[in-house]
Amino acid sequence: MNLSTKSRYGLRALTNLLDQDCCCSVKQISKKEHISSDYLEKIFAKLKKAGLLKVERGACGGYSLSRDPKKITLGEVINALEKPEFICPDFCDCQSKSVWQKIQSGFSHVLNSITLDQLKTSNNKSVYLDYAASTPVDPEVLNAMLPCFDFSFCGNTMSLHQMGSAASQVVESCRVSFADILKVQPQEIIFTGSATESNNTVLKGIAFANKSKGKHIIISSVEHDCVLNSAKWLETQGFEISQISVDKFGLLNLDEFKKTIRPDTILVSIIHGNNEIGTIQDLQSIGQICHDRGVYFHTDASQSFTKTPIDLSKLNIDLLTASSHKIYGPKGAALLYIKTGTKITPLLHGGGHEFGFRSSTVNLPAIVGFTKAAEISVKNFDQENKKLSELRDYLIKNILKTIPESHLNGHPQKRLYNNINISFARVEGESLLLELDFYGIAVSTGSACSSSSLEPSHVLLATGLRPEQAHGSLRFSLGRFTTKSEVDYLLKVLPQVINKFRQISPFKS
Amino acid sequence: MYTQKVLEHFRTPHNFGSMDNPTAVGQVGNLACGDVMKLYLKIAKNKKGEDYIQDIKFETLGCAAAIATSSVVTDLAKNKTLIEALKIKNEDIIKALDDLPAVKIHCSLLAADALAEAIYEFYQKNHQPISPELEKLHQRITVCQTRLNH
Repeated sequence: MNLSTKSRYGLRALTNLLDQDCCCSVKQISKKEHISSDYLEKIFAKLKKAGLLKVERGACGGYSLSRDPKKITLGEVINALEKPEFICPDFCDCQSKSVWQKIQSGFSHVLNSITLDQLKTSNNKSVYLDYAASTPVDPEVLNAMLPCFDFSFCGNTMSLHQMGSAASQVVESCRVSFADILKVQPQEIIFTGSATESNNTVLKGIAFANKSKGKHIIISSVEHDCVLNSAKWLETQGFEISQISVDKFGLLNLDEFKKTIRPDTILVSIIHGNNEIGTIQDLQSIGQICHDRGVYFHTDASQSFTKTPIDLSKLNIDLLTASSHKIYGPKGAALLYIKTGTKITPLLHGGGHEFGFRSSTVNLPAIVGFTKAAEISVKNFDQENKKLSELRDYLIKNILKTIPESHLNGHPQKRLYNNINISFARVEGESLLLELDFYGIAVSTGSACSSSSLEPSHVLLATGLRPEQAHGSLRFSLGRFTTKSEVDYLLKVLPQVINKFRQISPFKS
Repeated sequence: MYTQKVLEHFRTPHNFGSMDNPTAVGQVGNLACGDVMKLYLKIAKNKKGEDYIQDIKFETLGCAAAIATSSVVTDLAKNKTLIEALKIKNEDIIKALDDLPAVKIHCSLLAADALAEAIYEFYQKNHQPISPELEKLHQRITVCQTRLNH
């Protein structure tokens, strides 16, 4: 089904009225849009009749919108010009009727949810460089998820009837997919609701299940807040936490680490790819040390999963966290790998889902999306690794070259293929972030001013940065849909943004 | 998170930049905390012979709220007598910006403090009497600064 010429021209003509404070004559619009003025006059007459346009007389005569463009939907405009219908052409009462009705209602729903105002803003340049915070859902992932909302998969995976077992079979096949990717057994994969939940389960679950052996836990000084704050909470419960320092690139200090392990150490939890500075830790060495000393080793691979190969059959890892929304899957799904035989107590008690490790009705659509997302990412690994590392290095090189007093944070080579973190002297990150946002560029910062705690990033401080250097840091994270022209747009805008705030700053070079 | 007013002042700040031969300067804040504000005042006598702020400029390193509060305090203080300018409180700054998020209230305090510090410096340099309130305020700001700088 196509929109008629009337609707297409009508929408195009109306977008002209969005930019005008005063009204616009038919002549002006017809000239600009190459639409015959007679035809346009007819379209406008219909829109006027529907109450969407009003006529103004006088020197500045012409048409203008009768209402705020935020309150006019595309549905209203198109309905005023034609009656788009999705119907079975045979007018029969066959079984496909409900399908046509669904399409019709979906169609109207979409048109009624978009306002004229959004047409204007969606044309503005928008460059998303915050993929490390979250990613858009890949269209293929969404397609894989949609059937899960069907009646046939509505059952609870714990139910014995057909709908329950259909859902259960799907979840089990997802488990097998992840087991294949990580080279482990399917029953070692537990689905959770978030990486934060997986990490909380590990810290608290291992602590409480192994406290007869000891109460000492080791983490690094560059962990994500969910590991750090779980550890801090455990301190209030009588556990002892050691934080291992990192070098200026963010790599774990292995000598200090070895010396810190004690007979009563029960868990080591070290982030794999750092979420802020992108540094990738050496899982092989850390895992070997833990194995030799008989301590459980957990790694938070939320940022690195599918972005760098992880073969658990070759690594001494007992627990691993991975997340869906960092790899173009939906939010609300994550996994926890628990090696068979690991002593861990669940965080959530209830109906005994996920082999008793995580009670909660299984979030089937999200898990299916997560699985599809992981499969796509693994399949595209070589291609994305190449494309994004090249873009990353291009961006780093050019920022450091064009902006004086800029400094790369994290490791120059051992870093996630999509992470760039740079400190700029004499400026503050939140203001840079907001200014870039005005240019349509979305990034993130380690500045205290953008956090609710008003503390600068503990990760940047751990690498030896002074607080003022941490305040002036920005993280750019690239992703599947990033293009060279987007990166070039950033390279064009960034120097002038930095310069603007350096001029306002009381500190001069 | 920010009001339209804050964003306006942040995007196009009023009266920013340094000043040649300022009569007085007030600097508050600390690099470690991420906000440093510097106000430059040019003080002259009005027709009644009172000291007033003929010109004012700011330089700020900090977040959007720090820049917006600096910008708005220069608007509020310009052309006011020193007596009037000292009456500008952080609540007035917040009001002029149509509100600030709770975590950014300290930025409005900094802006009010910077103005008070500049006026204090002027009184001190010119051996003019300093009210007990202003003296107390200056002591609080200095203590705060020293604590932060160590």
